[in-house]
Amino acid sequence: MHIRLNEQWLQLTASCTVAELLQQQQIPPQGLAVAINNTVIAKRQWPAQQLNDNDCVNIFHIVTGG
Amino acid sequence: MLRIADKTFSSRLLLGSGKFASPQLMQQAIAASGTQMVTLALKRLQLDKPQDDLLSPLKAMNIQLLPNTSGAKTAQEAIFAAELAREALQTPWLKLEIHPDPRYLMPDPIETLLAAEQLVKLGFVVLPYCSADPVLCKRLEQVGCAAVMPLGAAIGSNQGLQTRAMLEIIVEQATVPVIIDAGLGAPSHAAAAMELGAAAVLVNTAIAASADPVVMAGAFSQAVNAGRTAYKAGLATTQLHATASSPLTDFLAAL
Repeated sequence: MHIRLNEQWLQLTASCTVAELLQQQQIPPQGLAVAINNTVIAKRQWPAQQLNDNDCVNIFHIVTGG
Repeated sequence: MLRIADKTFSSRLLLGSGKFASPQLMQQAIAASGTQMVTLALKRLQLDKPQDDLLSPLKAMNIQLLPNTSGAKTAQEAIFAAELAREALQTPWLKLEIHPDPRYLMPDPIETLLAAEQLVKLGFVVLPYCSADPVLCKRLEQVGCAAVMPLGAAIGSNQGLQTRAMLEIIVEQATVPVIIDAGLGAPSHAAAAMELGAAAVLVNTAIAASADPVVMAGAFSQAVNAGRTAYKAGLATTQLHATASSPLTDFLAAL
């Protein structure tokens, strides 16, 4: 299946959860927020939240700012 | 002690974390300022770039992290950014800021009030960056904001308390803490803000863009303390004519 991850198409060999996606992409989870199809997914739901074909996944992170 | 929502702070200086030359300099300036609350922002992750670990050193300093909604141009975008921020930092505390125009970065009062009302209902502790408008500040207070953050001047402009007369009305009317945010360019501006009764000030550019941010952070800390102490002492009144501080007797009349 394919998902769109931060504006880039990504092929996944099997269905996976948000937590598994972060692990596969080697993205440390600290200071991150995830939205699927413009809905924010709570951190506690990451291990259970399955990704579906054509999902638009956006990952945001904390940066410095005033 | 400064009380906002259910938390108390001994420092009345809030720091913005932007524009520092390095993360190390930012951490040193935070330590030198004695601040207990630091603002942060959100960005879309760039997958091909390694990230610095910004959060671990800040968490070790035991300070309240205050994510902002910078980048939001509407209430709807701000609410989305707020939900992201709450997950990213696991805190309901939020600096709400909505400024659609990048030239002056003036906060949109209508979108800010709409967003504030919704965010309070969603359980956020909302600290809105807003115009120095006494009516708007009252409305923000009425919808449940934990504080109001009116501007002294445009963000990063270092022009000081350009809105002074309005800030005085806001402070006089407020029943939530008034945190003067934006435009404070020198410790004297921060002292003046505290003297007029602000509960706290938020400073970023004036410290981060100074020649020595760590020393400047300390200078702002002293100014905030001096201004607060003067406010509590009660300033003497101003008047047009002179009043002598020494006795005006005619003891030299015999010469």
